[in-house]
Amino acid sequence: MDFSQRLKTLTEGAKYDVACTSSGMNRKAKKGMVGSTEACGICHSFTADGRCISLLKMLINNYCEYDCQYCVNRRSSDIPRASMQPHEVADLTMQFYRRNYIEGLFLSSAVIKSPDYTMEMLIKTLALLRGDTYRFNGYIHVKAIPGADEALIQRLGTLADRMSINIELPSERSLTVLAPDKTKPAILAPMKYVKNKILQSKEETAKYRSAEAFVPAGQSTQLIVGATPEADSKIVHLAQGLYKGYGLRRVFYSAYIPVGNDTMLPRYESKDSYRSPTPAFDTGTGLIDKAYGPILMREHRLYQADWLLRFYGFTAGELFKTEEENLSLHLDPKCHWALRNLEQFPVEVNTADYRTLLRVPGIGQISAERIVKARRASKLDFTNLKKMGIVLKRARYFITCNGKMAEKINFRPESIELRLTDNHAVGPYSQLTLADAAYA
Amino acid sequence: MPSAPRKEVDIVFDGTFEGFLCVVYAFYYEGITPLSIQTADALQPSLMQEEFFIVTNNDNACKVEKAIRKKISHDAYYTVAYAFLSSADDRFMCMLHYIVYGFKMGHRVDDHLHHDFILRVHKCAREVGREAHLLKGFCRFAETAQGILYCAVTPIHHVLMPLAEHFADRMMEQSWVIHDKRHNKAVVYNGESCVFVDVTPNTVPPIYAENEAQIQELWTSYFNTAAITARKNPKLHRNMLPMRFRGDMVEFGGTGRADSTIS
Ligand code: SF4
Repeated sequence: MDFSQRLKTLTEGAKYDVACTSSGMNRKAKKGMVGSTEACGICHSFTADGRCISLLKMLINNYCEYDCQYCVNRRSSDIPRASMQPHEVADLTMQFYRRNYIEGLFLSSAVIKSPDYTMEMLIKTLALLRGDTYRFNGYIHVKAIPGADEALIQRLGTLADRMSINIELPSERSLTVLAPDKTKPAILAPMKYVKNKILQSKEETAKYRSAEAFVPAGQSTQLIVGATPEADSKIVHLAQGLYKGYGLRRVFYSAYIPVGNDTMLPRYESKDSYRSPTPAFDTGTGLIDKAYGPILMREHRLYQADWLLRFYGFTAGELFKTEEENLSLHLDPKCHWALRNLEQFPVEVNTADYRTLLRVPGIGQISAERIVKARRASKLDFTNLKKMGIVLKRARYFITCNGKMAEKINFRPESIELRLTDNHAVGPYSQLTLADAAYA
Repeated sequence: MPSAPRKEVDIVFDGTFEGFLCVVYAFYYEGITPLSIQTADALQPSLMQEEFFIVTNNDNACKVEKAIRKKISHDAYYTVAYAFLSSADDRFMCMLHYIVYGFKMGHRVDDHLHHDFILRVHKCAREVGREAHLLKGFCRFAETAQGILYCAVTPIHHVLMPLAEHFADRMMEQSWVIHDKRHNKAVVYNGESCVFVDVTPNTVPPIYAENEAQIQELWTSYFNTAAITARKNPKLHRNMLPMRFRGDMVEFGGTGRADSTIS
């Protein structure tokens, strides 16, 4: 296989990993080195599906010994196989980086020979990039291999900005059925190790400038949604546990899209159709199959719920009443929560504190900040809010300005819900736009 | 402030940021109230009124900078400097209002979002910041036969300055050129410092390095492979990566492709 063909194969194998951010780390350039990183992250391009390309996302090889049913690279999958040498990966990364195609590298690997052997290949590549030949100072995200020796994780962590270990399936049971070579402890143990290492290195770097940084941009993980029966409630609670207990920087959610036909995954033909897309998309025409609308919407809602946990002060318990509950597909989680807790509304924009404003549907961090600032200078009415660029489409039903609402409405959950969903003439799945990618 | 009678005139300055600060200086120390503010190169001569040219003086500019930083805030200075790079016609007048009002209100000026000119200055600065941020990601370099990296952009605003800062840091030891085709300006970096130059329109495109076409090919193929067909979403795609940027991006067949002879 020629180089271009190998690159294609190794890209195919990595593209379902959704994480592609280059954020969380501000590192100025160093003399004699090439590259820098920006805390806010930089998107370099967007693929036709609207996802950001920030990193060169590839596998170093896709000859997997494991047989995880949800994965294209599994042993039993009938796909072309390829691998690259560490210097080939390093060289390509540099060529792309210099041309400003990418912000850095996201490297992972299928399990070849053994977890330790695989990790050594990853380490070799990163060490080469960071070493004298390439002197690369840009962003590197690496996926660690569960089951590898801790010393190897330690070494890898000093070379990368971010490390991820993917949990993929949200429950132990699903893992046993679909990823027979993996166990929950084998995944969680290295996550715990990485967490402790990060804390330790933070303390040390605060004390001694020369101390080595260990994954300074934090660790992340990915959960596959819709391949197994876990409800959103379970998934969001798990995410919350990972943020709190494991200090994760990000949890990514990936809507399951069937890859290949020889899978033992459920064929999705139950009554509960939105959770069960029929895997019948036509790769030839490249048209989005309507069947994917719902599962992509579900993924979108999970990102919104995740956002509420991380930035808006919500807890998983507030968003769900029971363990088996799912997020609403036609209302975003904040609206949904607000309608269920209508006694806390309407909120007076001239007096409510920042945290309360953040809980108003349609008001984000930037809007809340602007309101708090602007009202110091003068009282705000709806015209002011509009001028300030605050989108009132949803917020208008939940706020008052000087005691007045934007319009007279029947202040009951059903009637507000009707108004909230009324405008969406095109249907609930059409709003997968800007916000969706902003969450990534 | 001297209380001599104020002159109301149409002001012209040299188009540099220092020049603009001197307009502020003239407002305070020379009693000159502008009816309009224009740059010399964009000057539209009017028959009715004579223009009043403000000469740039670096000392005066420095004084105004210090005053803004001290009496208003560092943030306000930064906001004005960014708004200056906008291509909105009314930016200079709004900036002047903003500064004058800022000297009255101090650092609280940014709370007064109910004033249109304050919102306007913020908006201009934000738009410039946004375009610069996007281009930090979307702009593409290509290697020339001499080993210089060349990049062409067509921004709405004058974002060469923030781009130059970014790449001078990131590619410190590399020579590169960023060419703003819309405003016919370029920034040239030689591995040590940046120089801003005017470029004549229709400059001949550079001759690219031998392997350039091949690397562009790899990137384009990577770009196409990374998309997930089942998730294809043109509307989202356009929102995230507006059409106007694509003309200069290799993966969309834009200018700067090494295999096309004329760009
Ligand atoms: S270990 Fe499982 S998830 Fe990872 S590449 Fe192999 S088959 Fe895929």
